[in-house]
Amino acid sequence: MNIITLAEVAGNLSVIGYGLGTLGPGIGLGILFGKAMESTARQPEMSGKIQTIMFIGLALVEVLALIGFVAALVIK
Amino acid sequence: MTVAAEDGIDLFIPHVYDMVWSAIILVIVALFFYKYFLPKFNAIFDERSSKIEGGIENAKKAQKQADEAKRKYEDQLSTARVEASKIRDDARAEASHIIADARSRADAEASQISQSAQRSIESQHQQALVKLRGEVGTLAAALAGRILGAKLQDGAVQSQMIDGLLDEISDNKQ
Amino acid sequence: MVGVAGIHMLIAAQGGPDLPTVDDFLPPEILFQGTPFAINRIILVRIVATVAMLLILGVSAHRAKLIPGRWQGVLEMGVSFVRDNIVYEVMGALRGRRYVPMIATIFFTILVFNLCGIVPGANIAATASVVMPLVFALWTMVQYWIAAVREKGLGRFIRDEVFTPGVPWPVYILLAPIQILELLVIRPLSLTIRLFANMISGHLMVATCLAFAQYWMIESADKLMGIPVGATWFVGGLLMTCFEAFVAFLQAYVFAILSTVYINLSYPEQ
Repeated sequence: MNIITLAEVAGNLSVIGYGLGTLGPGIGLGILFGKAMESTARQPEMSGKIQTIMFIGLALVEVLALIGFVAALVIK
Repeated sequence: MTVAAEDGIDLFIPHVYDMVWSAIILVIVALFFYKYFLPKFNAIFDERSSKIEGGIENAKKAQKQADEAKRKYEDQLSTARVEASKIRDDARAEASHIIADARSRADAEASQISQSAQRSIESQHQQALVKLRGEVGTLAAALAGRILGAKLQDGAVQSQMIDGLLDEISDNKQ
Repeated sequence: MVGVAGIHMLIAAQGGPDLPTVDDFLPPEILFQGTPFAINRIILVRIVATVAMLLILGVSAHRAKLIPGRWQGVLEMGVSFVRDNIVYEVMGALRGRRYVPMIATIFFTILVFNLCGIVPGANIAATASVVMPLVFALWTMVQYWIAAVREKGLGRFIRDEVFTPGVPWPVYILLAPIQILELLVIRPLSLTIRLFANMISGHLMVATCLAFAQYWMIESADKLMGIPVGATWFVGGLLMTCFEAFVAFLQAYVFAILSTVYINLSYPEQ
């Protein structure tokens, strides 16, 4: 095993790209659900409405991660 | 194993047959849910809730009836109680009445008896007095005649003396 | 995922484990090749799952009684979950009644199709081809456009959505195209890809774990080291399978509730 094979990077850069791409949505989802829980705890009677708004936000945040997923698969 | 030459993008390119089968399956499943599954379960839910509501209604009705019956019984009970106390009062009044009656009757009888006794005593007394007066007169006359003897042949003096004696006696007596 | 394929090729050259690739989701046609009714493995799984679901649910619904048994109780819990916790929670009972069958269809079908991914023998989710989620998403889109036209009128709906009130007009230059894109493309595509991607990644994870378990425990020459490592991979595969069951439910729930939310957005605020 020579020094070149030791340092060989196997795989595809797009996977790393996708990994980076999940960071933002990950943080976003954390904030989103955390805040939703917080506000539900503060006003339990509004939980239905909060949940609805939370899911709209979830859809928007997840689109980013999904675009990353598609990009990782599609772009060679 | 196959060569992994197919691009990832192939995943996102829909095939015609895939579309056809997806659409067919969707239509079948949707028809099943719209026409059979959910109406069936909704009917069951509705029936159950109506049953439960009916059950609650029945229970309410029974409760109401029971309440009514209870109230009726209580009413009856209280009227019976009132009646009983009334009867008791009546009886007590009557009893005291009877006692008072008996007492007054006994009183009256007693007084009557004592009165009649008094009266008979009085009449006997009177009788005795009258008899005594007669006897005492003749006795005294005889006695005086014997004592005085012949001194008193004069009838007039005799009777005058007797009368005076008698008056004295009766004056003394009174 | 192409990365996985890359590793796969590299190790395969050395006789490594038989790792899953994206080719699993592009199986060859096995029946009626070349016609519009061609059937491949995923579609076969889908058809079998549909038939099984219709049979089971149909028989259960046919036998449904006023006093539920255990199985009927589970089904009723599912139905009332969709009705009360998804549709009525978001829309309210009055508006939602019309959509309960649709959302129930979406929820139950996606749930069953997703669960195919961990059913032995099927081992691939019936929603793991792009068209099935896409069809559901398009149905949702059609429904919210219809609701918008009926409740608000097309003009008012587009005005409200594209030119969101309360925003200074220069922003519209940026916002309006995004909103149009959102209404026409992003909503259905995000629904589709969310489900599809979850199914792909779930299958790849489970299959990778099991492939490594197989490789280390059976094919590896070094048994002393191979057995514990393989067992670890196997436990990982087991956990992933449980996780997949959870994801199957979660994705069905998310798809159903997002459909409901999108349709509800077409109604005027009360």
